[in-house]
Amino acid sequence: MQDRKIRILQILVVPVAAVLVAAMFGTRARAAGKAGYTVEELSPSMSYEEYEKRYKEYYGDATARMAEEGNPADFLLDDGRDLANKVEGSKGKSCASCHGRDAMKLKGAATHFPRYDAAIKGIMTFPMQINACRVQAMGAKPLKYESYDQLALTLYIKSLSNGMPIQVSIDGPARPFYEEGRRAYYKRQGQLNFSCAICHIQYAGYKARSNLISNNKHHTDHWPSYRLKWGKTGSLQRRFRGCLKNMRAKVPPYQDEELRNIEFYLTYSNNGDLIQVPGMRM
Amino acid sequence: MNCRDKVTGKNYLLWLAAASLLLLFCLPAPGRAGDVKQGEKIAKTRKLGNCVACHYLPDVESPGDIGPNLVEAMAAYGPDDRREVTQWIVDPRKFNEHTIMPPFGANRILTDQQIDDVVSYLYTLNKKK
Ligand code: HEC
Ligand code: HEC
Repeated sequence: MQDRKIRILQILVVPVAAVLVAAMFGTRARAAGKAGYTVEELSPSMSYEEYEKRYKEYYGDATARMAEEGNPADFLLDDGRDLANKVEGSKGKSCASCHGRDAMKLKGAATHFPRYDAAIKGIMTFPMQINACRVQAMGAKPLKYESYDQLALTLYIKSLSNGMPIQVSIDGPARPFYEEGRRAYYKRQGQLNFSCAICHIQYAGYKARSNLISNNKHHTDHWPSYRLKWGKTGSLQRRFRGCLKNMRAKVPPYQDEELRNIEFYLTYSNNGDLIQVPGMRM
Repeated sequence: MNCRDKVTGKNYLLWLAAASLLLLFCLPAPGRAGDVKQGEKIAKTRKLGNCVACHYLPDVESPGDIGPNLVEAMAAYGPDDRREVTQWIVDPRKFNEHTIMPPFGANRILTDQQIDDVVSYLYTLNKKK
């Protein structure tokens, strides 16, 4: 009797254990795949000098002439400064209450963004930081991402760092988010099976129809930028979303984790580039 | 259930017919005539094939230069290579795992008929045809 019971138990337990072990290995394998750093090996098809030559040949002095006529995004700077001095929220404060008149003490702050933030256990972008200050320090409402006021304030405060080199750190707990961003940048996605990297690394300098594909070297140093095609000033993440749409891929909402990680990866790879906002693009 | 048990007598012929029909639809039919005019339109329209985003094709303003010039490339293909040309468009990863060229068939960007049309159009570029 006792023997039979054990036998039944064995029959039941062994397969269940086997399934459990298999499942454990399965999830481990999947987790490794997700966090794994295996990305496609891609390298630029031409030197950066050759790329710049093609860029100049292609655009000629079009961008210089555009700049001469003035950047419409400059109008946002004044409004951004006003917003930095404006008292809002339940605590009767403005940005200037903590960061000096015209928030001048924030000179250089933008060079360290995006950065890892322990409280949100993820990447804090510059627009998010501004909203975090509004909510926590001022008791004010967050500004809707990509709204005029959010862009104006971000642009103004970032402009205080103009001419300073980007200095993003990926040390310590930031590292996995950098790796995730890199993975997302190389991930084939969408109906067209493209990745950011295949265009902006391997095929930078080639023409997709009449668009010269840009090398990603200066991708993050000039946002928010005015873009002729938009007829508006917009953020780096708006540009990401545009490329994702062209790829016929899923387009995440602003400040979604994937977009923040990509922004973190890309900005780090632009370390040393001088911040120059607002930019102006076709 | 074992299918073989059922395949007897008249049934057998029916099965054979059905199976060959199925096969016919599964295989990329190399001889199937495509519509050249449609093919040209598909190849040059942004929302369809948009081949000109990457390839040179005649009579297009500023085609891209990511991929090879298709007039030159087609010179290397003879009438018997239709299946290979089709495969390039259906899924170029068969030739180059890391290609930038989209898998037009595999990802259902174009239908089999549309791909046939494009191939027929490409063959009109082929001087050796
Ligand atoms: C099929 C090609 C292609 C893919 C894939 C692609 N892009 Fe682009 N991207 C372009 C082209 C073309 C431009 C326009 C060139 C320019 O603005 O200098 C552009 C512009 C950009 C810009 C603006 C550059 C600047 O300095 O103004 C950014 C940033 C960017 N892409 C990021 C991305 C990211 C991130 C991804 C992936 C999520 C991506 N791109 C995927 C082709 C592509
Ligand atoms: C985003 C870029 C891109 C698009 C869009 C694209 N191709 Fe390509 N194609 C390439 C590249 C690059 C190659 C070269 C082989 C490689 O890198 O895999 C190629 C190769 C080919 C070849 C083989 C050429 C040879 O030398 O034998 C054919 C045929 C071809 N493409 C046809 C098409 C057609 C037809 C379409 C549209 C329905 C199309 N391609 C769309 C990038 C593209």
